[in-house]
Amino acid sequence: MASSPDHITCQELVEQVTEYLDGALSVEETELLEQHVNFCEGCDWYLDEMRRTIATGNRLREVHVPDKVLQPLLTAFRERRQS
Amino acid sequence: MIAYKFLRPDGTSAFTGFRWNLPEGEPGGWVDAPPDLCRSGVHACRVSDMPFWVGPTLYEVELAGEIVEGRSKLVASRARLLRRIEAWDEGLRDVYTRMCADRAHELAFSVAPPLESWDAVIEPSFPEGPALLGFVAARIAEEISGAEAYRAERASQAGWLAERLGLET
Repeated sequence: MASSPDHITCQELVEQVTEYLDGALSVEETELLEQHVNFCEGCDWYLDEMRRTIATGNRLREVHVPDKVLQPLLTAFRERRQS
Repeated sequence: MIAYKFLRPDGTSAFTGFRWNLPEGEPGGWVDAPPDLCRSGVHACRVSDMPFWVGPTLYEVELAGEIVEGRSKLVASRARLLRRIEAWDEGLRDVYTRMCADRAHELAFSVAPPLESWDAVIEPSFPEGPALLGFVAARIAEEISGAEAYRAERASQAGWLAERLGLET
């Protein structure tokens, strides 16, 4: 919840940005976030970075790892966790 | 219904990146999209909303079909750009930014003791342009007199823009 009904802070934008990109904010919250982005160069950049990060993540695909590679990797991870 | 739309210099929307068909002697083509505030449809602003959305270029836009009013914006199912408002050029953007900066200084020194920490952010913010300076002036007003003063400052900025751009409020 924003500390003011008329504007939000950079910190509040950071807290809301994922919901904004998911379209999960209310109309009022969205308006205040977009007003903030319109004047705040730093948050505009941050929002753009978040969009790019999500787009990049969405392009990642699960890759099949052959057993002869997978098993040594799992063993190494287990050993690392136990050490 | 006549409304207004700020665009980037290349004719794209700031939030969606949508590339508009710009008017060149005659209106641009119609754009259609189901209206849903902040999510879908063609968004534009009233004169009173302008201080929240100021950007590099300004167009007069004709809205048609279903029109929904939000707190600081409108969304329509149909719209087309009628004309660029040439008066909103680099020179007037600078004049508006300076007006907001001067008003912010005036407000910061209107109380005792002066709001020196607020005053200190005004000039360094100037290069970032009119949207930020308008916000800073309104925030200083709010700091002194509360939320109503923030809204009054925004209304005053809208009045300045309407007068200088020759727009009806």
